[in-house]
Amino acid sequence: MRAPADTAGTPATSRTGLALRRTGLLLLLIALWWAASLATAPYVLPSPDRVAQRLVTLAASGDLVANLLTTLSRVLAGFALAVVIGVPGGILLGSNRTLGAFFEPVLPVMNTVSSAIWAIFAIIWFGLSPLTPIFVVLMTALPLIITNVWQGTQAVNADYVELAQTLRFSRLKTLLKIYVPSILPYFFSGARLAFGFGWRVSLVAETLGASSGVGYRLRQASDLIQTDQVFAWTIAQIAMMVVIEIGLLAPLERHLFRWRRDVRS
Amino acid sequence: MDATPHATPTTSSHAPPDHRHALAFRHVGKRFGRADGTSLEVLRDVSFDVPAGSVVSILGPSGSGKSTLLNMAAGLLTPDEGRVLVLGHETSGTVDWSRLGYMFQDDRLLPWRSALGNVALALEAGSIGSRERRSRAEHELARVGLTDFAGAYPHQLSGGMRSRVALARSLVTEPDILLMDEPFSRLDAQTRTTMHHELLRIHRERAMSIVFVTHDVEEAVILADHIVMLSPRPGRVHAETTVTLPHPRLGTPQAQALVADLRAAIAGLSSDWVI
Repeated sequence: MRAPADTAGTPATSRTGLALRRTGLLLLLIALWWAASLATAPYVLPSPDRVAQRLVTLAASGDLVANLLTTLSRVLAGFALAVVIGVPGGILLGSNRTLGAFFEPVLPVMNTVSSAIWAIFAIIWFGLSPLTPIFVVLMTALPLIITNVWQGTQAVNADYVELAQTLRFSRLKTLLKIYVPSILPYFFSGARLAFGFGWRVSLVAETLGASSGVGYRLRQASDLIQTDQVFAWTIAQIAMMVVIEIGLLAPLERHLFRWRRDVRS
Repeated sequence: MDATPHATPTTSSHAPPDHRHALAFRHVGKRFGRADGTSLEVLRDVSFDVPAGSVVSILGPSGSGKSTLLNMAAGLLTPDEGRVLVLGHETSGTVDWSRLGYMFQDDRLLPWRSALGNVALALEAGSIGSRERRSRAEHELARVGLTDFAGAYPHQLSGGMRSRVALARSLVTEPDILLMDEPFSRLDAQTRTTMHHELLRIHRERAMSIVFVTHDVEEAVILADHIVMLSPRPGRVHAETTVTLPHPRLGTPQAQALVADLRAAIAGLSSDWVI
């Protein structure tokens, strides 16, 4: 009745197979990169070993970790603000039809505004400060979170609300025990999207309007034509996102939605 | 709550609360407004009692207002005319709603909660501590024979098991009145029979009244001490029958004869019988 037993033998072997395939892909890409770098100047395409050396020196100086953490903290701050505003906003718009219909056009319009435009506004308003990337992340993440939470409120099953009524739940208890768990999957997919977008646009904002962070260092390295540094920062930020995805978001999702049929298999 | 009839404001009624009756419907009428501005009369002048400790079946075709009566007893709807009394108290006044349990047509289990979590849900309206909630829910699950499935999620359970979890959820508050809205209608015949046995066993073990809504004549005869038959819309009490046959009744000649009688009575209504 519980875990299906017929697939018990396969996951371990398929997981090893997947790891082998992924390693193979990575080695292939590095080999292609290395071959291409032989035919080009280092400032156009630096070789993998040169970039690796640069990564080691950046890590040894503490520069790498400091800037990654700076950018991450800004993404998290903008993301947290988007959650704090977006979750109640989405619930409000979803539970009040008049309000929802009135504000509906705002979200797609917000989504069409390029992050570069938000960054320029932010520079005008906040100058070269940490607030600039935070604002850009907020403006990018907010419509995504509001839209998903809004959709989530509309997907709440009226039968469960009726059940809460027969159990004489207060409004607060109905919200916490029926609405929140119903909305959570929608919120989670919205938040994940918003976090990924937020990370990308934060780099844009930092290249334009910050004096620290990965985006700033990328811009600096490109201005000085230190292409190996540009590659090093790029690889570092990709690695960080992969670690967050595999180490945090995927297990969290598996845990939160373990009750779902599809997630278990 | 203690039986303190004078504690409740019964200013509009002269009759003192009557505790022999778990539920009493007095000249109940109900209309629903429709989108085009007209209204639909679903119940007209319905009066009957649910004696304390009895199983009463409300039998009627679809659209006869059976579920509406149940929702009035649960305090989810108010009658337009007449009164509904729960344990002697008007539903418009102060009723201790925790003394009622409700079981829906579907099992209505929350998919994100385990079987145990679904049963414990019914205890979460008040201020009962989480440890007591858990132990009471475990106890109730054991009584329906599902101890081994406490941690299973609804999608991992069979229809019969889900129905048992829903039953345990409606019983965990130890209600005096259990309202059931065609709760087994979606189960296969064999599982339904098992659930009938289970329900009658539970009823023997507890001092509890059951109101069981159904459109299935045989189900009413198998379960009920008293059958209230409603006419098609607007629902009125067409006939009332007291069943004194010993349990189990399924397949006995007397029960079959009664089923035939009731079906004949329904056939007399057939000109305006709405399915």
